[in-house]
Amino acid sequence: MHSAYGIPISWYLTLSAILFCVGLFGMMIRRSAIGMLLSIELMLNAANINLVAFGSYLKMPTIAGQVFAIFVITLAAAEAAVGLAIVINIYRLEQHIDADKISAMKG
Amino acid sequence: MNILGFTITGYQIAFVVLAGLTVAAAIMTVLLPNILRAALFLGLTLFGTAGLYVLLNAPFLAAVQVMIYVGAITTMIILAIFLSHRVMKIGFFQAIYNPVLAAGAAGVMFLFLFITVANSQWLKAMAAKGPAKTNIGVEAIARALLQPYVFPFELASVILLAVLVGAVVIAKEDTEGA
Repeated sequence: MHSAYGIPISWYLTLSAILFCVGLFGMMIRRSAIGMLLSIELMLNAANINLVAFGSYLKMPTIAGQVFAIFVITLAAAEAAVGLAIVINIYRLEQHIDADKISAMKG
Repeated sequence: MNILGFTITGYQIAFVVLAGLTVAAAIMTVLLPNILRAALFLGLTLFGTAGLYVLLNAPFLAAVQVMIYVGAITTMIILAIFLSHRVMKIGFFQAIYNPVLAAGAAGVMFLFLFITVANSQWLKAMAAKGPAKTNIGVEAIARALLQPYVFPFELASVILLAVLVGAVVIAKEDTEGA
């Protein structure tokens, strides 16, 4: 049976899985802390697609999916702000942001 | 449109185009060694996602996505790159860890997710109808935020305030020597 738009929800879920795994891959290969932040944004974005898709494909379409997505966007902005502040501070201390070599917090 | 017995709707074409754009930009985001270009491609990914939100009947969310993600977060990341990177000097294999291992792990994760999506029964039961055509407007979102979700809404406000102060404190240059 076809949906009204001809797009089954599994398309969105698969797309979201692809984006999440691309983000995961980026998270694992990047050395620089900012590159990692970029990948985190990708992963959060993939989760958002899932939330909105579920919200609008339910039998009784609910606004909850969109509201959750708005909260996720808010928290992503907050996380990016704090993360970048930390990165800038680390750069000021050590002149690089290679996540492997950052040793300021080691005991 | 009818191709090889399959009926193809304009929505499907729009979805495939937007999804292709989004995934391609995402792959560029993680693979480009130049972090500044990667950040610009992240902006493109987020823009494509905004298009998908429009397809999902969430125009307000699409606007929020463009304003906050594409407008604010990408700009912030690019500014941080300007403040902290010697952008042009990094070669690909100096900039990354072992890509084969990472690709393997991400591939396994994707297989797992895909099998879950493909096999779930409740999904088939739920997905029959497609996004409802009821236009969920800004008013409904405002009501939802201020009535059932007012507590997380206020919590988000507090978190934003804390983050604002925290980011300023962390990023501020230590002028007093303390």
